[in-house]
Order: sequence, then C-alpha cells, then structure tokens
Amino acid sequence: MRRRSIVVAVDGRELELTNLEKVLYPQAGFTKAEVIDYYRRVADVMLPHLRGRPVTLKRWPDGVEAPSFFEKQCPRHRPPWVPVAPVSSSGKRPVVEYCRIEDLPALIWVANLAALELHVTLGTATAPETPLAAVFDLDRGPPAGLRECAVTALRIRQALEACGLQAFAKASGKSGLHVYVPINAPVTFDQTRALARSIARKLEAETPRAITTVMRKELRTGKVFIDWSQNHARKTTVAVYSLRGTPEPRVSAPLRWEEVEELAQGDPRKWSERLRVERVLERLEREGDLFAPVLELRQELPATEQ
Amino acid sequence: MPRAIWSGTISFGLVNVPVKLYSATRSKDVRFNQLHARDGSRIQVRRFCAAEGVEVPAEEIVRGYEVRPGEYVTVTDEELAGLAPELTEGIEIQEFVELREIDPVYFEHSYYLAPDKGGQKAYALLRQAMEESQRVAIGRVVMRGREYLTAIRAAGPALVMSTLYYADEVVPVTELEGLPGETVRATEREVAMAQQLIEALAAPFEPEKYRDEYREAVLQLIEEKAAGKTVVPMAPKRAEAAPPVDLVKALEESIALAKERAKRTA
Repeated sequence: MRRRSIVVAVDGRELELTNLEKVLYPQAGFTKAEVIDYYRRVADVMLPHLRGRPVTLKRWPDGVEAPSFFEKQCPRHRPPWVPVAPVSSSGKRPVVEYCRIEDLPALIWVANLAALELHVTLGTATAPETPLAAVFDLDRGPPAGLRECAVTALRIRQALEACGLQAFAKASGKSGLHVYVPINAPVTFDQTRALARSIARKLEAETPRAITTVMRKELRTGKVFIDWSQNHARKTTVAVYSLRGTPEPRVSAPLRWEEVEELAQGDPRKWSERLRVERVLERLEREGDLFAPVLELRQELPATEQ
Repeated sequence: MPRAIWSGTISFGLVNVPVKLYSATRSKDVRFNQLHARDGSRIQVRRFCAAEGVEVPAEEIVRGYEVRPGEYVTVTDEELAGLAPELTEGIEIQEFVELREIDPVYFEHSYYLAPDKGGQKAYALLRQAMEESQRVAIGRVVMRGREYLTAIRAAGPALVMSTLYYADEVVPVTELEGLPGETVRATEREVAMAQQLIEALAAPFEPEKYRDEYREAVLQLIEEKAAGKTVVPMAPKRAEAAPPVDLVKALEESIALAKERAKRTA
C-alpha cells in the first residue's frame, strides 16, 4: 500500500492530506488529489467570494455516487488556524460555529474533507443581516431545460436593467442558473427579497406556463422555478467556483451574458462541457474572475412596491 | 441525594399528600460513543429529508402518523395538549388491591415517593396504613401531560410507585403457540423429584449476590485499553513524523500515480 496520508506545507501551515488517490468522481476517475488541486488553482479568485462568510460544507466522503451530507457546524477536529463564525440558530444548537475559509490552507483543508461543495450566505459573519447581493435561483422542472432557464435569466436581467441594476449570471453547475445583483451597500434582506419576489411574480404573471414561483416540485413540471426566497440571512447558495457533486466534476462557474443568450438558443449539452473543471481553469487563466464585480459593484436598490 | 424528577400531590379521599418523585433504579449499562474509525472523531446523528437528501432543521420537523402506507396525518404538540385539558398533574388513588394480585409483568418503572414540604404527617399516615392493611394503592398519575396507571406500595420507610402497563399492552399468553396443554402431564414421581430439587435450591432472594459480570468485563477491558494506550486518539493522528511535503508536489505525485493506475486497469 502506498501511504494513505501525507503531511504537506501550505503557505506556512502544515496539514495532513488523506486518501489522495481515492476516486471521488467515479465516472471521470477524478481523484481527491484532483479535487484539492482544482481548489488550489482557483483559490486566488475564489477566496474573495468566501472570505468573511460562514461556509456550509457539503461533503461526499465516499465520492459522488455515495451519500453526502451538509455540515454547518465546523468539524471539531479542525486545525486551530481555521477560524469559525458563530451564528445564532433556530435549530437544536443555539449557536452554530461555521467554518470560515479565509486563506489557501483552510480551502485545502476543507477540500481534503471531500467537501466538494461550499455554500455561502449572502451576508457576512459579522453583518449577517446585510446582504451583499440579491440572488435569483433558477431551476428547471423537467422537461423544461437549461435553455428555458437561460431564457428566464435573460428576462430577469432585462427587468433588472429597467430598474437600473446590473446583474451577473453563473451556472449552478447542476441544472440551473443563478443571477446575482451586486449591492455592496447597506440594505436588508427584506428589501432584496421584495425586489426578487416582485420581479419573479411579474415574470410568472406574464408567462404562467413557462415560469413558476411555487416551491412544490410536482407543480414545476415543464416550468422554470424562480426561487426568490434565497434572499434570506440563513439561506445559502453554492459559492461561485465551487465544484458540484454531479457525476462529472463540474463547477458553478460565471457566464457572460452573451453565453446565456447563446444558451437560450443553442445546445445545452455542448454548453455544459464548459463547466468541466479543466475548461473552467483554462478560462480563468485567459479571462480572470468574471464574477469579481459581484463583490465590488455598489448599486442602489430602487424603492420597491410591496 | 438524587434529584427529584417530579413533584405533585397524592389525593386520597380528603387527604392530600405533597410528594416528590425520585427514580428508584438507574441503568448502569456501559455507554459507548460512536466514532469515525478513520480519525476517531465523534459521529453525529443528523436528520435528513428522505426525498430531498438535505438536512432538516428541528423547526421543520413535524409528527406524522401513517394512516395508510405512505399516507400520513400530522399532529401538532398543541393538538395533543388540547386532548387532555381536564387532566391536572397529580396522583389520584382509585382503589386498594393486594400486591400478589398484580402479576410482575405489569410493572414498568419504579420510583420512590418522598414527602414534600408540609407532607410529613400525611405521608407517614398513608404509609403506615398501607403497610398494616397489606394493600397496594392503584392510581392514575398525570405527569408532564401524560397519564399513567400506577401502583403505590409501602416498602420499608418509603412509598414506592411503579408505573404499570395497561392491560391491552400485555401480550396475552393465548397468543403463544406450543405451550403444553392439560393433556401433557408428568407422573407424580417426576413431579416429586423436581420439587425436591427446587427445595434443595430454595433460598431467600438476595439480589446483591448477583452481579452483571458482562458489564464488569467490558469495564475491565476499557480500563486495560486506556492504560495500555491503545485508545483511539481524539485528534487526527499525525503521520509518522515525516517532514511536510510541498503541496503541489504531493498533489502532482498523487495524480500521476492515479493516472498510471487507471491506465493499468484500463
């Protein structure tokens, strides 16, 4: 047997990596070492999107074909240099101490836990009630597809533009799309939720056959579901550049609007190839972080009618 | 002094006896924690939604009763509490029976009753009267919103209360198959011999003579392991003090190795 664990040095921290050869994506033969290597490569652009936020881990200890679990409470065996964000909770624990991923060693550490997916809140640990962005989470109810999601995303963008707001899209990495509206100004979740809800309801009213805001899965058939309720202090959305626990190693990667337009007409299968780890890394090298404005752009919300 | 787990009043005719309730027994089973074999960290139990595969917070969990396969009726705490509004917490004695009439199969859990403030006199009276009349009180007890059937008896200086199973909770022996019927009879001589053997082994019941030897063996094993340092460490084990390797180098090596292995098996 080859060594099952190895102590590595990362930016002056020592940490133990285990079972590097374990295949976490059996269809692609993608190992844990490759997962860790992916996160190492995206760290520079990804970390700013994680810093300061409570991070929920979704772990697949035995790979994507085996069960996974969400981990909010940061594991007790974390290294002393991984800080936590205590957040009061309505659940059984009064306070949940989320992991905070502030630097490369922490990111490598969670990758080694087979935390393929990292989910973050829209607020920070210190200002949990202040969303830095508003989000629309679009998912499809089969047989509606990515194409329909893209059409809906474009309509959301148009509605936002009418309010003078710029928006940015990313693939969920699974079957949907996320539209982000950067804010980076002091607003409340009530305000962002009201904005998202009014736009979602307006689009639903315009095309009730294509769009729904109803959560129930069985009522989504053939429609795109716009989840506006993600705009809540406790809700999390998969972080940009997070891997997904899909059969193939795919990424929740930013998209240019031209690509969303292309997708609204084109072949989604070919397009989903773009979310593969290698393609995302290639693109990052060429184009940098398309999602950087989400952290920087300061926008004012229009007064919304209730 | 153990801690009282409940306090209330025994009502018996016009007499009220304020009492406190204490557990009369304690389980000494050796309790283990579940650990992850690989790194020795604690295993947590999480509640998952079977359909969505996501963890469900406590506030989203409701009670469901399966009426038909896959079909549930949900019931809230308030609805359950509303069912017994007239019940007042307390022990209400209904009648007195002889202890030997109660088959031990009915006994569930036993508690000690001790007098609460101002109850000394009434408690002593009830205890003494029950002891002298050799009777056991049967009563209904409402504790923490639930009703129990109980038997209260005098035992030395104290009153002991045992919760009883309801009759429909006891499985009738008629449900058993293969019991020897009236037709299977032993000969008189066989019975006499068996009785002789029983007499020879007859003894007063001294429960302290018996010990849970299995438990003692388990505790001994644990003690030895703890002393012998074969204990699973709480913190992840540091791999043999090898010097740390450069991250990129470690990953590259591992990926190369996996690729090679995949090629060989392909």
